Amino acid sequence: MNSLKGFSAPIVAGVALFGLWEGVLSVFSSDGFVLPPPSEIAGAFIDNWDAVFRGARITGFVVVSGLAAGVILGVLAALLVTRFRTANETITPLAVAVNAIPIIALAPIFNNWFGLTSPRSNQAIVVALVFFPIFINTARGLTQVDRSQIELMESYAAGRARTTREVRVPNAMPFFFTALKLATSLAVIAAIVAEYFGGRQDALGPMITQSAGLTRYDDAWAAVLAGTAIGAVLYASVAVLERWAMPWHSLIRSHREET
Amino acid sequence: MNAIHIRGATKVFNPGKSSQVEALADIDLAVEPGEFITLIGPSGCGKSTLLRLISSLALPTTGSVEVNGKPAEQARLDRDYGMAFQTSGLFDWRTVAKNIELPLELMGWSKADRRRRSSEMLELVKLGDFAKHHPSELSGGMQQRVAIARALAFSPSILLMDEPFGALDEMTREHMQDELLRIWRDTGTTLVFVTHSIPEAVYLSTRVVVMSPRPGRIAAVIDVGLGDRQASTRDDPAFFSKVTEVRAALREVEG
Ligand SMILES: Nc1ncnc2c1ncn2[C@@H]1O[C@H](COP(=O)(O)OP(=O)(O)OP(=O)(O)O)[C@@H](O)[C@H]1O
Ligand SMILES: [Mg+2]
Repeated sequence: MNSLKGFSAPIVAGVALFGLWEGVLSVFSSDGFVLPPPSEIAGAFIDNWDAVFRGARITGFVVVSGLAAGVILGVLAALLVTRFRTANETITPLAVAVNAIPIIALAPIFNNWFGLTSPRSNQAIVVALVFFPIFINTARGLTQVDRSQIELMESYAAGRARTTREVRVPNAMPFFFTALKLATSLAVIAAIVAEYFGGRQDALGPMITQSAGLTRYDDAWAAVLAGTAIGAVLYASVAVLERWAMPWHSLIRSHREET
Repeated sequence: MNAIHIRGATKVFNPGKSSQVEALADIDLAVEPGEFITLIGPSGCGKSTLLRLISSLALPTTGSVEVNGKPAEQARLDRDYGMAFQTSGLFDWRTVAKNIELPLELMGWSKADRRRRSSEMLELVKLGDFAKHHPSELSGGMQQRVAIARALAFSPSILLMDEPFGALDEMTREHMQDELLRIWRDTGTTLVFVTHSIPEAVYLSTRVVVMSPRPGRIAAVIDVGLGDRQASTRDDPAFFSKVTEVRAALREVEG
């Protein structure tokens, strides 16, 4: 099966990496603090399962809800700027300017706005970080359309909405999914780093800072592992969604690879 | 009533800017219903632009274009046009059959009617086995045949084709020429066709319009008058003498 072939290579590479990691550390054994071998991280992961799972659920919620809101807002803004010239002239430069702000640096400020222990500020960081790649890529996909396809729709006297649905939206799909894959890892990073500064104290971010502060590096790594799992699950879901939403696209890719 | 009537049309792109291009000047052309007109001329002389004016995808800077007795814009809204472009313009996200059905969907045909028509059209362009394929799985020539099938699918009263056979091999090209002539005769469609091939222009059309560049003008209109085309037409001395006549007119404009 093609889809299995796609997933098996990273799994093999992952197993090889962990094997190498474990092997190197067993030969050149340090004190095992800063970089514990995978076996110890797995041990800490299982020992602290309750806390890690709770943290993963809290952080996972921040990631998924922020991602969803950021994606919806990004797509809506992209549709708006392709539809209305004035929207394009006002929103696009504004978005570019705002995008130049290192948003993650706003985390402590957002905490001030939303309350130190509220997850809202973390969600807001995720939304802001996800919004831009989705907005910019989707807008590009909606506008960079084959001219003859638009003219064809015009020659059939198709309305603007119909042309958007038949031509612009499908054309934007590959752009959108590329941005969405990027956004999943951005969302996990944004959530955890934002949690360093505030939000619920049993989330993954505080778990990492607190464990590292107590030099319990295996616990810190267990929390990192949980964050990695969230990112991996999201990425895989997006990849599945992409294949389902654009069956024609994997076809184009496989042809390009063959030639 | 003329099928197409162009009066004093000019087209200037980006007027007043440094990128200003005078694409067409003084175009007067009247096309009878059921005629097969071919536009031929050097690259950049405005053939595609003239097709765009006829289909009201672009407006003339001055002058007017009337189609079926009404302004071109109205004819477009009435869906009088079928178009095939220089690039196939197929939708990768639709199967071959669904590409052909697109105009039928827009015109509200029932699903069963659409299915029937798309399979008829696929037979016509000899792609019956490819209904469920996506365009990216087809060769360039096959894609162009799908685009032609799409243009013909709803039997428009006016067909505008911009070098549709450019990507085809010689055998397929001759086959498609004969098919196009058959469809044209059977449907009574008015056809405006752009090509770079002199023999193709002579073989297909009732009249060949030779255009000159910068700005694009109609340099000569040659009546072909070869009657019904047959396999033997391509070897007919009368055919060759028309080819020579068109070639001479083209030499003149290319200077
Ligand atoms: N949208 C446009 N904006 C500006 N200039 C244009 C535009 N479309 C065409 N032109 C110019 O108008 C002239 C005629 O172009 P057109 O595409 O009609 O030529 P053509 O005869 O179809 O050429 P070819 O045989 O290469 O297809 C060219 O000089 C071209 O650069
Ligand atoms: Mg052209």
